[in-house]
Amino acid sequence: MTVSAGPKTPVEETRVALGRPLRVALLHGREDTAQRGVTQIALASAAEIVARVRATDSRPFVEAAHALREAKPDAVVIQAGSKDTAALAELLEALRLGCGPQRPAPRIVALVDPRLADALRPHAGAFQFDRYPAASNLVGALRDMRRAGSGDGVLRDALIEDGARALAAATATNALAVDVSDRVTSLVLARIDGRIEAAHLTPLGVGEGADRIVARSGLDNVRRWLPWPIDAPALLERVFNRVRSQSPPPATDAAILLEMALAREAIAHALRDATQAGFDIAAMRSASAILVTGRAASLPRASQSLLVLVDGLEPTAVATVFREPDDGRAERIAMVVSVTAKRPAKIRFVQAAGRSTAKVTPGSFGFLAIDGDVDVAVSGAGVRGHGRSGMLGALVDARGRPLSLPERDGERIPAISRWLAAVQATAAPGTA
Amino acid sequence: MTWRRETWSADHALPIGVTTRAQVGDLVRAGDIIAAGATVGSALRISGARRLGLAPRDLEQTLRVPVGSDVRARTVLARTGRRFARTVTAPIDGRLLHLTVDGDLYVAPIVDRWTVRATLDGAVSRSDDATVTIEGEAWCVQGAAAYGPDAVGELTMVADGPAADIAPSRIDVRLSGRIIFGGARVSAEAITRAHACDVAGLVAGGAAPAGLRVVYGDTVTASGLATREDRPTVLCLVGFGSAALPDALYAPLAAMSGARAAIHALSARLFVFASADVGVPDSPSPGETGEIDREAAPSRARDEERAVADLETELEAATQGEEELIQSADISSLPER
Repeated sequence: MTVSAGPKTPVEETRVALGRPLRVALLHGREDTAQRGVTQIALASAAEIVARVRATDSRPFVEAAHALREAKPDAVVIQAGSKDTAALAELLEALRLGCGPQRPAPRIVALVDPRLADALRPHAGAFQFDRYPAASNLVGALRDMRRAGSGDGVLRDALIEDGARALAAATATNALAVDVSDRVTSLVLARIDGRIEAAHLTPLGVGEGADRIVARSGLDNVRRWLPWPIDAPALLERVFNRVRSQSPPPATDAAILLEMALAREAIAHALRDATQAGFDIAAMRSASAILVTGRAASLPRASQSLLVLVDGLEPTAVATVFREPDDGRAERIAMVVSVTAKRPAKIRFVQAAGRSTAKVTPGSFGFLAIDGDVDVAVSGAGVRGHGRSGMLGALVDARGRPLSLPERDGERIPAISRWLAAVQATAAPGTA
Repeated sequence: MTWRRETWSADHALPIGVTTRAQVGDLVRAGDIIAAGATVGSALRISGARRLGLAPRDLEQTLRVPVGSDVRARTVLARTGRRFARTVTAPIDGRLLHLTVDGDLYVAPIVDRWTVRATLDGAVSRSDDATVTIEGEAWCVQGAAAYGPDAVGELTMVADGPAADIAPSRIDVRLSGRIIFGGARVSAEAITRAHACDVAGLVAGGAAPAGLRVVYGDTVTASGLATREDRPTVLCLVGFGSAALPDALYAPLAAMSGARAAIHALSARLFVFASADVGVPDSPSPGETGEIDREAAPSRARDEERAVADLETELEAATQGEEELIQSADISSLPER
């Protein structure tokens, strides 16, 4: 234990704001890079994507205008090349027809070259049209729109990015922050050189955004994580009522397991969206330091947060996992060693105190009691890395990647129960 | 969540193609048509300024038909010159929809007509091509979520108590045009039966989400789904599943049975137009106890017919004006000698 005897340093208080929900429509060029570019901008700025139109969209003019009117966007994000000038000009005309009378009028923000911006600006009519030279500037502008009215508060997503950056700096490795809150699910990869890749998916969370998980991923994808049979209507009712009841922290075993199921699926769905947007998912999965925050970190047991992370993210390397609940301090909880060997393999831990080995069979899942700084190597599987085990030790996950669950309840439920038991995540202390 | 009587505001979103709409300051009653318009099909882009040899910004001055008007095929849309006239004519029957910055025109065929009805008694406080907002005083309860289009009708009780479900067997065609309410729960069967019986809307403590998925599709969420299509209207007051109505909600609701009411789907609100003393409806209602009056449905249907006839007359008058405009345009399109 280190006790500081130095003078007290004043603590700077930060007011965290969620920011107002921002609805964005994406207009992009025919190239896939443009599509990925605008999606990345929307995800980085934690905006809700309400409409998406490609320059080569076959929808008739009136349908495009109608879709944009129904979407009621606060902002329209454009990214395209010069080949798309004519098509984008027509889409802006459709925007004028659809959203002309909308109050407040949507603001157009474009990541295009100056000549294309000059060609498009007249078609925007009375709408405010701003060109930005880089995606980061555009993300900043969208965040400013979200921040409007929040005073000097720091946006929660910016705070998560700071956390990831700080972790990367402290561990001198790529760090990933995974945040699952009521309404937003975030994946933020901070690289050693300071670059950030951030995807904040909204509305997608375990409270207010829980119904979106079901709507987008399907009810069966949530149900598969529950260790008891439950019929679809009953589960749907529970999920819908979470949205209405401002979902307090789960108090019963069943509520905790449902929240864990939703959190896993929120992370998995965020990864799928991030993959489509062109984020470096392989780097996220192989990050050496992972920080879990929000509701996923506020589960009663650290092992529950760990299980949510491992099942949802499916890490592929050796990683040190931290968790930081909203009203608590950050703590190192465990080291995860992902093994994808198809045959039994040997795992070797090297510490200052000596070395130890253990046998890993495919499909095995559980903790090994290891303390402190550890070098890990798995024979044959190509897994090699360095980590620090936390209070729970080292979790060896040899279930394979991608993680697949049995289809039939008779096989799936015992498997889920076994995994829960293996990490002692079945019940919270003092819950029924 | 309680009943409150105060001045409320209700936004009514309008689709593209508005023909007529109520103006700011107009007094309306719930159920009145506040906007009407045309649903248009695939639009044709017609060269305008280029054809007339004008700068795009000058085209608007030469338009013979205002943007947003219905036009007939070969109607002159824009014309320049005197001795050697150049004209742009409509290629099809339809609507002049949009004028582009490049000086081109979009004309689209009319495939249907739509109307939007008020959900609040009061005065129009905002009116533009996107929204008509009405402000007025009413009893109101904020629900959890609403699904389907706005609904207006007479509030009618069909359940035995705050914890009772709306039984499908109690719904029949005599409830046509009414907003029926029950206690704890409304099932998919009750929703579909009510829709088949032309019931205006259903209000209950909760609805089964699985049932809502059956009726409104798998993408339905807990935040509601305000639509314009012909679908059932459901308002969940408390939550989902079986949710017995608290006395504070149920007692006034039962007392106001028989009063005119409206469900505003976008805000998930139930407005009831009764006097400040709960239970005394503003307008006389057929059954004070909420029992069904067999004569009520036909009279309501007559009211509906009258409202639509009024609108049609209005539209006819507007169309006549346009026809005159078209005729004059045709005359003006003749080459001058």
